[in-house]
Amino acid sequence: MEDPKPGAGQSANASALGETKREFDMDAVVGYILLIGVLISLVLVGAALIWRWIDTRSLSFDYKITGMNLFELVLVEIRLAAQGAFRPRLLMSLGIAMLMLTPFIRVLASMVYFMAALKNWKYSVFTAIVLLTLTYSLFLR
Amino acid sequence: MISFELLFPISIVAGFVGAMAGMGGGVVIIPVLTLLGVDIKHAIAISILSVIATSSGSASAYIRDHITNLKVGMFLEMFTIAGALTGAKITLAVSPKPLYIIFGLVLLASWLALLFARHQMGNTGPQDRFTKWLELEGSYPDQALGEVVHYKAVRAYFGAPLMYVAGIIAGLLGIGAGAVKVLIHDLVMGLPPKVSTTTSNMIIGVTALAGASVYLMAGLIEPGLAAPVILGIAIGAFLGTRLLVRMSNQAVRRFFLFILLILAVEMIVRGVRGGL
Repeated sequence: MEDPKPGAGQSANASALGETKREFDMDAVVGYILLIGVLISLVLVGAALIWRWIDTRSLSFDYKITGMNLFELVLVEIRLAAQGAFRPRLLMSLGIAMLMLTPFIRVLASMVYFMAALKNWKYSVFTAIVLLTLTYSLFLR
Repeated sequence: MISFELLFPISIVAGFVGAMAGMGGGVVIIPVLTLLGVDIKHAIAISILSVIATSSGSASAYIRDHITNLKVGMFLEMFTIAGALTGAKITLAVSPKPLYIIFGLVLLASWLALLFARHQMGNTGPQDRFTKWLELEGSYPDQALGEVVHYKAVRAYFGAPLMYVAGIIAGLLGIGAGAVKVLIHDLVMGLPPKVSTTTSNMIIGVTALAGASVYLMAGLIEPGLAAPVILGIAIGAFLGTRLLVRMSNQAVRRFFLFILLILAVEMIVRGVRGGL
């Protein structure tokens, strides 16, 4: 039986110890980004519901998000909070925003990995294309 | 508006059934939401948001286990994201009727793929020049086999456009379309089943994000509906996945697959009859 190598899931060419070590670290980083992002968003949505229940004895949210992309949604909510309108829907919107940003941050981290750690320009370009397309979709109007 | 008290437990069941059948919760929650009177486009938009949560959650564990191939994922994501944007734009443009029929047909095809899937080992032979240039190869420690499995992907030039189509399906219907993606990875690109499943899981989250962005801008994501669905499906999928790995009896899984078959036929019938 061969010893399982850390980071082996990434590339059979990763024979150099340094690169293998970096790949191992990157697997963990990417994995934890996804896990923590999803957990934060679920906690925010859950907290919004609890806050709503304490305020109104109801768990329903009846506001709509219309004509806004993700960043406009976050900006509107933060602006309202800054004006003193600190409401459960702020946490709800932030929870939805965090959920949507989680895969985006994962791709961003992957690009840093391919550029800075592996210096693999081919995959840096591929990741940049993915990132640019996602950025375009998040700024859709 | 459906109450939280009703939608939350329904979403837990949807996430659980989806996970037990080997698919996501989206394929269950969309038909259920439409049965409860939610417009199919709203149901698709909310489902795609829950797909981000479930796929990212499970992908997290697989990536840390060094099974997921980041390069395969990153290369194919270029195509699935473009496909998801196209699919979501199509959904906004068409009437609900064809969406019901396409949803039912895709669910039926995924059901057949899951039922008759014959897993094979990944390709270890020579690669074509393009796939080799893309560095799409790797190895992973297989706990069940007790050895490191090496593989070399092939036919990336064919897998890429097919993944664009898989992205269209995901964006169009608000589902992960994992069964379609795994089929492409397995049969076209010669990836081992574990690598294709886990890499597909990672791709699903980013693909769903592209589709969700289109639906958010179109005003189809209602937080009041989204909250119980996201939380419920995440909890249900978590419970279902935990139970599935401990379960040895295939009969139970076949029962859940049977539920999916009923949902598929029911959606097609409603589509043919004219939506709701």
